[in-house]
Amino acid sequence: MLKKIVLTLAALLVTANVAFAEKTIVVAHDATWPPMEFVDASKNIVGFAVDYTDAMAKEAGFKVVHKNVAWDGIFAGLEAGSYDAIVSSVSITDERKKAMDFSTPYYEVRQALVVPKTTNVTKLDEMKGKTLGGQISTTGYFTIKKTAGVTAKSYDEIGLAMEDLFNGRIDGVVCDDPVAANYALQQEQYAAKMKIAFVIETQEKEFYGIAVKKGNKEVLDLLNKGIAAVQAKGIDKQLRAKWIGR
Amino acid sequence: MTTEPQNVRIVITDGAIIPDPKERRIITAWSISFVGALAALVYLCTSRPDPYWRLLQFLPDGIAVTFKVTVLSILCSIPIGLVTGLGRLSRNRLINLVASTYVEVVRGIPLLVQLFYIYYALGRFLKVPDLLAAIIALSVCYGAYMGEVFRAGIDSISKGQTEAARSLGFNRAETMFMVILPQAWRTILPPVGNEFIAMLKDTSLVSIIAVADILRRGREFASESFLYFETYTMIALIYLLITLFLSKGVSIMESRLNYYDRR
Repeated sequence: MLKKIVLTLAALLVTANVAFAEKTIVVAHDATWPPMEFVDASKNIVGFAVDYTDAMAKEAGFKVVHKNVAWDGIFAGLEAGSYDAIVSSVSITDERKKAMDFSTPYYEVRQALVVPKTTNVTKLDEMKGKTLGGQISTTGYFTIKKTAGVTAKSYDEIGLAMEDLFNGRIDGVVCDDPVAANYALQQEQYAAKMKIAFVIETQEKEFYGIAVKKGNKEVLDLLNKGIAAVQAKGIDKQLRAKWIGR
Repeated sequence: MTTEPQNVRIVITDGAIIPDPKERRIITAWSISFVGALAALVYLCTSRPDPYWRLLQFLPDGIAVTFKVTVLSILCSIPIGLVTGLGRLSRNRLINLVASTYVEVVRGIPLLVQLFYIYYALGRFLKVPDLLAAIIALSVCYGAYMGEVFRAGIDSISKGQTEAARSLGFNRAETMFMVILPQAWRTILPPVGNEFIAMLKDTSLVSIIAVADILRRGREFASESFLYFETYTMIALIYLLITLFLSKGVSIMESRLNYYDRR
């Protein structure tokens, strides 16, 4: 009997060792950002970023554990070490670079303004005196705050901002273009009443990067290796076609 | 062995610990908290003006919104509470049932859910502005609590008062509004003050419907600066200071109201 237990334990140890040879990276997503990362009908975290991370893991040889984390506080959790990386449509900005390290860019993003179908605007300046909403702590919200003469309103989730726009309490929502397209073009109910007015022109290009805790070179190198492989093999283009469709 | 029926009731309110008005010592839980919080606030703002002083300058409009929501909600919830309390005491079966059901339903739904419900669920039919939605949700919720306060306050006035008033020819309404309620106010006001404190703390929930109160302003600050520790320390200190101020106020009010009992 004892022999059996010892043998089983030994066998377990050996297999466990093999399993642990691959590094596990815990990745945080705020799964309220369709189509990049969101929760599907069967409560799984899915989306472009999720598939992308899985592809990276396969290419670079590490394991991924996906974790759903609320956006407000997602950076605090990284700092506290609750997870190793954030793959959650985090735009690389100078302010954020001071607080955390970023992988090589994995997606180019632009800010889009979503308005009711009846609004005709072509420039952000034309929204003077209006109230615009965005998700707290996103580049979309920062864009609104920087626009003179516009009242900025911050929401916990982009979906709540879209709902308020749908109900007519605010005049527009600024967010990343794939998300704007998802709400204003693909979600039937919203698409009937809302449209993308325009994509906001900026001087500098905006990119999504994977955020890691400052100085976590081991994880960063693995991630960069994965991104390089995914881009070299053209997997990113397949995923783009699958989730974003253009 | 027979045991005496136990009539012990534990009453814990959701507001704050109201300092005992008769307490004459200098070192009390209240004074320690108050001086400590104030000292911490001043120390942080002078020793590290960046970010603490900058943070403090970012928050005043949030504090104003918090107070605005609290004061307006209390003002609305007092009449709701009075009507509910009277309804709960009514001998009319229908009125009594309506009032009791209201209390039952509202107390059974978390305030956060009520906020979501009024703002987002009903938002499909009624375009209630955010501040008004917050005030409605808080008034409806606290109206139910206030109803219980009013009921207990009115109940506490001895039956002899009613009998005396009635035998002097007052009708029922006159008895209630001219004899019972003026006396009941003394019992009712301190718990109403405590509900006020509880409500002020609960207004932090309205940040979920994008009302820019203290908490949301703090979250916006933290989200841009990544100074989570500093921001939430400040937010906690500010809430604590406001609550301590108010609990002292309630305590003073209580001692004034007890003037006749002390003789």
